[in-house]
Amino acid sequence: MTEMDLVVRDVEPVARDVVALTLAHPAGAELPVWTPGAHIDLVLGADLVRQYSLCGRTGQPDAWRVAVLREEHGRGGSQAVHALSAGATVRVRGPRNHFPVEAATRYVFVAGGIGITPLLAMIYELAAAGADWELHYGGRSQASMAFLDELAPFGSRVRLWPQDEVGLIDLAVALGEPRPGTHIYTCGPEPLLAAVEQRCGAGWPPGTLHLERFSPKQVDKPDEEHALEIELRRSGRTLAVRADQSIFDAVRGAGISVLGSCLEGICGTCETQVLDGEVDHRDSVLDDEERAANDCMMICVSRGRSERLVLDL
Amino acid sequence: MTDQDRVELKDVDLSDLDRFRDNRAWAQFDTLRREDPLHWNPEPAPNSGFWSVTRYADIWAVDKDSETFTSEKFVNLEEVDDDLMDIRRSILETDGQRHLAMRQLVAREFSPRNLMKNYEGILRELTKRTVDEALREPEFDFVEKISADFPIQVLARLLDVPMRDTGQLIAWGNEMVGNTDPDYTQHRLDSPESEKYKHLPFRSPTTQDVFDYGRALRDRRRGGDGKDLVSLLANKMPTDGIPLSDRDFDNYFLLLVVAGNETTRHAISNAMLGLLRQPEQLRALRSEPALIGTGLEELLRWASPVYHFRRTATRDVEMHGKTIRAGDKVVMWFASGNRDESPFADPYAIDVTRSNVDHLTFGKGSPHLCMGNGLARMEIRLMFEELLPRLHDIDLAGEVTRVRSNFVNGIKKFPVKVAVRG
Repeated sequence: MTEMDLVVRDVEPVARDVVALTLAHPAGAELPVWTPGAHIDLVLGADLVRQYSLCGRTGQPDAWRVAVLREEHGRGGSQAVHALSAGATVRVRGPRNHFPVEAATRYVFVAGGIGITPLLAMIYELAAAGADWELHYGGRSQASMAFLDELAPFGSRVRLWPQDEVGLIDLAVALGEPRPGTHIYTCGPEPLLAAVEQRCGAGWPPGTLHLERFSPKQVDKPDEEHALEIELRRSGRTLAVRADQSIFDAVRGAGISVLGSCLEGICGTCETQVLDGEVDHRDSVLDDEERAANDCMMICVSRGRSERLVLDL
Repeated sequence: MTDQDRVELKDVDLSDLDRFRDNRAWAQFDTLRREDPLHWNPEPAPNSGFWSVTRYADIWAVDKDSETFTSEKFVNLEEVDDDLMDIRRSILETDGQRHLAMRQLVAREFSPRNLMKNYEGILRELTKRTVDEALREPEFDFVEKISADFPIQVLARLLDVPMRDTGQLIAWGNEMVGNTDPDYTQHRLDSPESEKYKHLPFRSPTTQDVFDYGRALRDRRRGGDGKDLVSLLANKMPTDGIPLSDRDFDNYFLLLVVAGNETTRHAISNAMLGLLRQPEQLRALRSEPALIGTGLEELLRWASPVYHFRRTATRDVEMHGKTIRAGDKVVMWFASGNRDESPFADPYAIDVTRSNVDHLTFGKGSPHLCMGNGLARMEIRLMFEELLPRLHDIDLAGEVTRVRSNFVNGIKKFPVKVAVRG
């Protein structure tokens, strides 16, 4: 990955406790190309590397912009950024994009606080392309919400939800009824993301929701595995899978031939069709949509949410 | 044990390509597995030598541990200059997140389910046509008429390129993978003049033609909604958010052309040759075609179309009482692991009723496990399902010649005479 030292060209307060940094190459060289949703790493110290979304316009290779909220009880990254002043040098890696914009007929953006940053870059690009979009932007108060001046020209596409005036974002209003072709992008504090995620779970097509978390979601793995029962429809057998064995081992143990290779959920060789029952996916092969479809599983690592699975074996 | 003469440990040399051309590698593998499972093999300059890993369990352990045994320093015996690595790097020589992200661009197209849904019908038709065509003559070259024709037609479908281009695609594959065989290339990897092309994948000047061809396809498909592999590479954003550079695309396309073509061909040829030499197995498959589905894994084990891939140690490691130093080349001889007596009793016998054949043919436990394994399985199964019931008899009609390579276990010519079932 690209790693380079950039110069802080400008530090501008853009809301209460939020500064926007403009970063440029010391020799004026062009910076790498990026796409909305991308972030960079700021290397602020030996063990202090923080990710910040690029929040300017793409197609301006002379400078990047990030906006950083000062968090009194954070782990020190935001305070280090706030201590920077124009002319300082900062080590940067990236950009990378884990939150890219996919083609859709309509976009709904839901931003909470400093979570506006990646969405702002998306909005600039989509607005220029004439896309259909709306933004719901919540924050504690208008004074704490960054970039309101830049959003003002977009008029009624932007709806502000300052909590001290109107309360939390009403997601029923913001998201409305499920509409095919709409993609939802959200970024902000965990409770907001969880609420949006929950609402999108009901009725919206899989793949609608795109969210950016600053820390990875923990996969719930039970402290203790439980046994399950599997019916092998083609073989006409029903097997008990003990808590301490995999489905793969149980099937082979019963003398039934089944393909497998890595036995760690990475290679996809043991993919098996699921006819009934709910799968607890633990592999690294399937994407969210394929998991949700619940019609196949990697039997070397995945188990059942239900106590019984029916497999095409 | 193989029927080849026993080789003394002091005489083992897995860098001697002529022995592979003469199919004399197996007895060397036997000796190494038995007597020296971690064996230092010196190489002629400018190469620096390599460790050979030949036992099943050891190969699995190395393939699985990409932190200790990296692919980033390249994966064949050729030692690539540090400053040329990034230029030549494809997913084969990339580890970690970037590898995963690049693989995911097309990986799901190769899942058994999607292959069956999208390609099984077409492929069966193609197979039938290939078999019909070949069986018109009582004598033919099995490689040319069956093994080579079919995988390349499949590849052409996956890439969505015109059928008239398949001859070119085959020639390109031959030249790249057969880069140590004088029949396939004018620029042999093990000749001093290949230095001139060391900045190119496989050190082959032909790669530029492949790049140009691939880029033209990509540029036409940009912004479209095609589901072929080129369209996916042209339009999909890798999950790590770093777009494919032109160079990434070039190397990816080249890899698809080569990998999708050579290895399946050699697997089909080797499997057929094995069945021909152990005719009771051929009879078993013919009398009970349902055995082809399960026997396929045994045929894949037997065929071992890829002899090796290489890794490089990232730290000092102890193994079998020796120390692999950081930076040393470590070669996994998959073909040897597939003849290891420990998991496979009587390993030189084909037994299509063997169950749970966890061969190393596609790698084992590795993030780099052959991405096309589902496709290869389907192609080979379809070919034998269509071909075997049509054969009354098949015999060798001349000399089998092999590729001069310790990378692919390839067959160049395989003349057969056949009697077709009435």
